[in-house]
Amino acid sequence: MVEESRPSWENPMQFVLACVSYAVGLGNVWRFPYLCQMHGGGGFLIPYLIMLVVEGLPLFYLELAIGQHMRQGSIGAWSAINPYMGGVGIASVVVSIFLVVYYNVINAWAFWYLFHSFQGTLPWAECPLSSNFTTYVPECEKSSSTDYFWYRETLNISSSIEDHGGIQMGQALCLVLSWMVVYLCVLRGTESTGKVVYFTATFPYLVMIIYLIRGVTLHGALNGLKYMFTPKLSDLAEPKAWIDAATQILFSLGLGCGSLIAFASYNHHNNNFEKQAIVVSLINSATSIFASVVTFSIYGFKATFNYESCLDRTLQSFWIFLKRVMSAGSLQFNIDSYFSIQNTVQTEWTVFNTFFLKMQLLLINTFDLAEDSIKRDNLDDWISHLNASFPDKFATISSQIEVCDLESELDTAVEGTGLAFIVYSEAIKNMGLSQLWSVLYFSMLLMLGIGSMLGNVAAIITPLRDFAFLTRHFQKETLIGMMCLFCCLVGLSFTTRSGNYWFTIFNDYAATFSLLFIVLIEIITVCYVYGLKKFEKDIEVMIGHRPHWYWKIVWSVISPVLIIGLFIFYIADYIMGGTPTYQAWDSNLGKTVTKEHPPFAQAVIGLLLVTSMMCVPLAALVTFIKKKKEQARERKISTTAS
Amino acid sequence: MLAKVLLALSLVPALALALCQPDGQDAYNVRLSIKTALGANAYEWSESEQFLFRATLAFAMRQYTGQETFNVSSVIVCDETPRVSFWFVVTNPSNTATLIPKNTVEAAIRLSRNRINSAFLLSDKTLQFLGIPPTLAPPSQPSLPVWLIVFGVVMGLVTVGILALIISGFIERKKKEKTIEDEDEEEKQERIMENDISCQTLEGKNGVNNGAYTHDEDRLTQL
Repeated sequence: MVEESRPSWENPMQFVLACVSYAVGLGNVWRFPYLCQMHGGGGFLIPYLIMLVVEGLPLFYLELAIGQHMRQGSIGAWSAINPYMGGVGIASVVVSIFLVVYYNVINAWAFWYLFHSFQGTLPWAECPLSSNFTTYVPECEKSSSTDYFWYRETLNISSSIEDHGGIQMGQALCLVLSWMVVYLCVLRGTESTGKVVYFTATFPYLVMIIYLIRGVTLHGALNGLKYMFTPKLSDLAEPKAWIDAATQILFSLGLGCGSLIAFASYNHHNNNFEKQAIVVSLINSATSIFASVVTFSIYGFKATFNYESCLDRTLQSFWIFLKRVMSAGSLQFNIDSYFSIQNTVQTEWTVFNTFFLKMQLLLINTFDLAEDSIKRDNLDDWISHLNASFPDKFATISSQIEVCDLESELDTAVEGTGLAFIVYSEAIKNMGLSQLWSVLYFSMLLMLGIGSMLGNVAAIITPLRDFAFLTRHFQKETLIGMMCLFCCLVGLSFTTRSGNYWFTIFNDYAATFSLLFIVLIEIITVCYVYGLKKFEKDIEVMIGHRPHWYWKIVWSVISPVLIIGLFIFYIADYIMGGTPTYQAWDSNLGKTVTKEHPPFAQAVIGLLLVTSMMCVPLAALVTFIKKKKEQARERKISTTAS
Repeated sequence: MLAKVLLALSLVPALALALCQPDGQDAYNVRLSIKTALGANAYEWSESEQFLFRATLAFAMRQYTGQETFNVSSVIVCDETPRVSFWFVVTNPSNTATLIPKNTVEAAIRLSRNRINSAFLLSDKTLQFLGIPPTLAPPSQPSLPVWLIVFGVVMGLVTVGILALIISGFIERKKKEKTIEDEDEEEKQERIMENDISCQTLEGKNGVNNGAYTHDEDRLTQL
């Protein structure tokens, strides 16, 4: 019988890059900057780093230790730790299945945007025209061209979650492609994954560096950076900041899914995972901070661009110019004298010139004057004459000034797909060479997404391949292929018109609460069921020294307490939150409205939470029953023998 | 010539005073920006230009309705300003007391907008009919969307990659099975397993280092 030795990474670097590629994902780019903004800018780093040291690092270390020691996927590893705790592994696999099904849809969107970047003008830069070619499509005019491209041309979103609509062909094709790419990367196991991660782990950094250099040189970037990094330490008094920091660390490192156990199971028995755990966790956090710098310089650019466009459209630029010069104190309101400073104050001059042309047109059209009647040297006289002669008519145009506010532009804090696909694409369309930036950006999103997918797929495949039954009857490629096909078919439901609403449900509920539960059970099992002393000895066998007392204290006391606290908070939040709601897109208004989830959606939410968590007690029960049966059989044999 | 026109025009106001009212229900406001459009080559707005305008508008009505009864006299202009903006109405040729409804006038103008603009060397922006939006240029649409082409290329590459990996894996497995079939008992003994690790893999290296017994950092796998 041909026994295949367990495959392994070609060198430790592949393992580290695989972990980095898995941990550094879309959350670093679109969740962390949002949290920073919400919780006091630079001050948020304090709870974040504390949680990293107290919660993230120790748990990461723990999972790597388990995987490397047991040399099996999550189901086998937890069954080996304690026969009753195999359910933890099964729960991890279930959560990972939910995760891969909805996560790959993001890659599909990234592909869609990437393919659409190869055009002369980016399709989200302009609104399409209505059928009679006189105006733009009303939905686009009311919202914006980037909103329209996302909600209408990409998702073709329906107005509520009940309205299913059909499968969108473009989305479905991109999803199939995403799954084929994932299959290509994992079908040979570590042999193929190990090579792919060289690219998926490093390419995003290359793009982020390029974006950083471009971003900080963009006009207005400093506004965004100042806004984000100004620490508002008062925000730290709020418990929400600490809770968000704790959950962000947990989910960002990808704990509880079984991916780390899977990756570590392919290591050599004496691999120094302690150093690697520290390195990967630090790289993950550093990447989050790095990504926020890039995101906020882009934010600042976009906000400043919108603010200055607003100023251009209105006469407000004149009033600002006036205030600036008046505050210099010297001159009275005399337009002639402003012309004398033309050569010295160039920027102010441009502002004033723009104002003059606007003012000229406005006055000519409102009062039906001859085109060339208002010149620069008589603008002053005209304004006073018209104001005196036609005060009512003059009042109508002075009320045309819309208020332009830079703070409110920066305040639009966005996270998730909204940030990645709407805000960023809006900023990109205003940069020079926008096609190039667009291609770079969406390729980066793709690499981040695929890197995380590889980890989650490994979390499913590795335990499945540990089952001798499956390995005997199915070739590796067939098994992986069937899994990818199944997930792809289920994922097609996210490409329907209401698919984005279902996506949000999965995003918010499938891998949040359940993961907290799994991690809590994991840490209690290792410390109290398996025994901390036994665990210490296992680590000593692997890396040659016992873990430092700090790790032991955190594992046994601090982390469980923290996670129980998070648990309680989530439950309290859910109970007090009332009916869960979602943001639905209203095509008539051109913006999102809040709607309540219908009962069947709430049922799905409940199912998502229950199916994964129930695996733990159910598996324990099944093992218990099996053991009882075995004991009964053995007693029968021994009695018949005697 | 000019005198005759002026005479004709002077007769019209008496009748048209009631019909042409600014902000009237069937009246349109027109605004010309000749100096903006033509700069140094701008022509002066005169009564003759006004006549040309009325004539082109009558032409537009003829084109749209197919009735060749529309004449210069059917178009009445009032409230002219130095801006070069004025109001006009179109009277029904069969009953000069009634006006052509706004929608019909609008449709006629949109049909012949290009001709009207050209007569005055202006464009949609500089010859404005307030209330009739200008037609915007549609963006060019290629026959096959570009994204499908890129998608096709990437899909093709990925499919080729998958097939290559599957086939090469299949071939490797067949080769391995063949060598195992061919080997005899002696060779099989050599391929024994020790703790799930094939002895052959151990032979290549100098055994497996057990970190518990060495304190030398160099022996441990470096990052």
